[in-house]
Amino acid sequence: MLLDLTILIGVMGLIYGLLNFFWIRKLERKDKAGRIVRNVMITLIILIGFVMAIREMTLHMFLQVVFLNLTGLCVLALATTGIVLIFRTSVTTNFAQGMMAAFGAYAGANLVLSMTEKTEIPIIYVLFIAMGVAAFVSFLIGLFVDVVIIRNGKNITPVGKQMITMGLVLMLLGLIPLVYGTLPISIQAFSYEPKIISFGENSWLLPGKSLILPGHNFYTLIISVVMIGALFLALKFTKWGLGVRATASNETVASMMGVNTRLITAMSWAIAGAFGGVAAFLYASEGGSLSASYMVPIQVDAFLSSVLGGFSTFGGPIVGAILINLFKSVASFFSSVWANVIVYTLVLVIVLFKPFGLFGKKLSKKV
Amino acid sequence: MGSYWFEKTYKTIQSFSKHPLFGYVMFGIVLLLALFLNSFELLSRSITTALILTTIYATVALGFSLLLGYGGLASLGTAGFVGLGTYLVGHFSGTQDYPFIVSLLIALGVAIVIGLIVGFISLRIEGLYLAIITLGLAEILKEIFKSFEAFTGGNNGLSFRDFDLLGIEMSPLATNVLIVVAFIAVIVMTHNIINSPTGRALLAMKNSTTAAQSMGIGLLKYRLLAFVLSTVYAVFGGLLYMLNQQFSQPTTWSLDFSLNILAAVIVGGAQSIAGIILGTFLIFGLDLAVLQKIPFFVANPNATWIVNGALIILVIMFYPGGLIRLFKNLHASFITQCKKLKKKWSVYRYGEERH
Repeated sequence: MLLDLTILIGVMGLIYGLLNFFWIRKLERKDKAGRIVRNVMITLIILIGFVMAIREMTLHMFLQVVFLNLTGLCVLALATTGIVLIFRTSVTTNFAQGMMAAFGAYAGANLVLSMTEKTEIPIIYVLFIAMGVAAFVSFLIGLFVDVVIIRNGKNITPVGKQMITMGLVLMLLGLIPLVYGTLPISIQAFSYEPKIISFGENSWLLPGKSLILPGHNFYTLIISVVMIGALFLALKFTKWGLGVRATASNETVASMMGVNTRLITAMSWAIAGAFGGVAAFLYASEGGSLSASYMVPIQVDAFLSSVLGGFSTFGGPIVGAILINLFKSVASFFSSVWANVIVYTLVLVIVLFKPFGLFGKKLSKKV
Repeated sequence: MGSYWFEKTYKTIQSFSKHPLFGYVMFGIVLLLALFLNSFELLSRSITTALILTTIYATVALGFSLLLGYGGLASLGTAGFVGLGTYLVGHFSGTQDYPFIVSLLIALGVAIVIGLIVGFISLRIEGLYLAIITLGLAEILKEIFKSFEAFTGGNNGLSFRDFDLLGIEMSPLATNVLIVVAFIAVIVMTHNIINSPTGRALLAMKNSTTAAQSMGIGLLKYRLLAFVLSTVYAVFGGLLYMLNQQFSQPTTWSLDFSLNILAAVIVGGAQSIAGIILGTFLIFGLDLAVLQKIPFFVANPNATWIVNGALIILVIMFYPGGLIRLFKNLHASFITQCKKLKKKWSVYRYGEERH
């Protein structure tokens, strides 16, 4: 499978090279033509790769693996949304996103522990309340970070701001064991009862087979679809969303036109924090326990999916997150040990071909 | 006759002390003295261990500063490269029993190849994205450390025993002396690079790539050079780490190591060698030698990271040149205060000046 994929990428690269040499570079609008050809090639590579993988592992197995990894996918999409929201409004990649989220999730998990000991409320309500608390704590942290640190650093370069968020990572890594103790905290899943989806004998898809959807994954899917959908609707139709889009395209001009960019940026940080908090809580609840640095792998994936999808759009990174999770599911079916290495290398190769992501546009730079 | 010789030696010493490298060599001599004091049991063992570890980290930080302070490229792959250095020497000199020189050459070769690869990537992907991509590379390396058990020993880690350099059996003290000498050599090399046309080209590129290119500085050559140098320093640092600690495991080489190196470079001052040494001693040395004896930090070993993180944020927000600039500013303000006092005294002593 890996050999096939390598051959596929090699052949596509060769075809691109030949096309470029004999045809594209002699065209009048070679940039545009080259971009279109590259897009088609990458889409073809991804599609053919998936078709090859599905043929090897059968459609039933593929869907089953995707269903089992659904929580990872939703959590990744939520985390990526938060990172992109911050990137668009304050032009920095927030490396502390995962840590802010973990801090909130710790608060939620502690609440679950104390509430299950003292009260008789059914566990599912407790978990929903705790998820709200986790989101709220991360919301406050996001607000705090923007109001206290980022807002006062208007003159800092983007790379400097990035380093401030790296400093925040170190601070929170030290603070979490201090506040919540060094031992991992255990936490229940939303539901342990799997849902079984059976297909009839005459069904067009997978006749006579059935798929298992773990109960927790079902809840995660609904929560994250509702949250991401609500965010996109808000971006499209509310005054805040218009403000965010205006700030994202040009902060100075937006503030001249009467947009309260300070409020917009602060709310973006806070909402990104809340998204992270929910993601961290759902992820911890699936894994059964949480420790200080358990969000780091998710965050690395979230960054890579933002780069893969392209930071300059809102929708691209979510597609990137879905793609990365699908790559991971497929790769871990073939080789569970080397899955991460294969996926990261693949993403790296794609990004080398398209430095601004699959859906990103090149931003013109003034000298 | 006697006074003539005295005067001559005094003048030679004076000319030595004005040499730009004098301070660094003296620093090395002080470090060596500390090592010998330890071998006569005049200085506690933990302090020398901290000193040696800090010099190793400072080697890595110097390489990183060439990238960040001079190239203006933020990279988060440091931990992966340092880990690679430890495993290369651990595998080739430890498990395979090659001579140390051979594994040194292999490590340098691998470092150059990886530096070239990352450099080529950095030509396509710039600015904020570069940190993310190098973070991804470090994750790939970490996964390899975890999974490639024949080479790295997997999660259990890889241990290393005593080695011999050119046929001489190296004791722990000799190893430490070697590390300090290597550190001074690295400092001298960095000083020369910074003050050569290469260093100035890197600095020009940091401020504006377009302006640098229009002045005839090849982006390809200097980007690749910056990454190759930085990777070589990091791998070399890993090598020294393995000689000193004789053990390496994948969990050491995670994100927080890269962040701490970054903290050291930023806090001290990314563009001065003295600043980087100061920063490394603040971030690592203080933690290893002093804070680990205070009960609060013994109970919460991660609490020092709070201090490091807060230092990064404060320095970037209020002292972008690093803490070394604080000393320069203090020195300047001290001199102005002295001049004012002298003027006041002269007014008091001789009365108001009349014009």
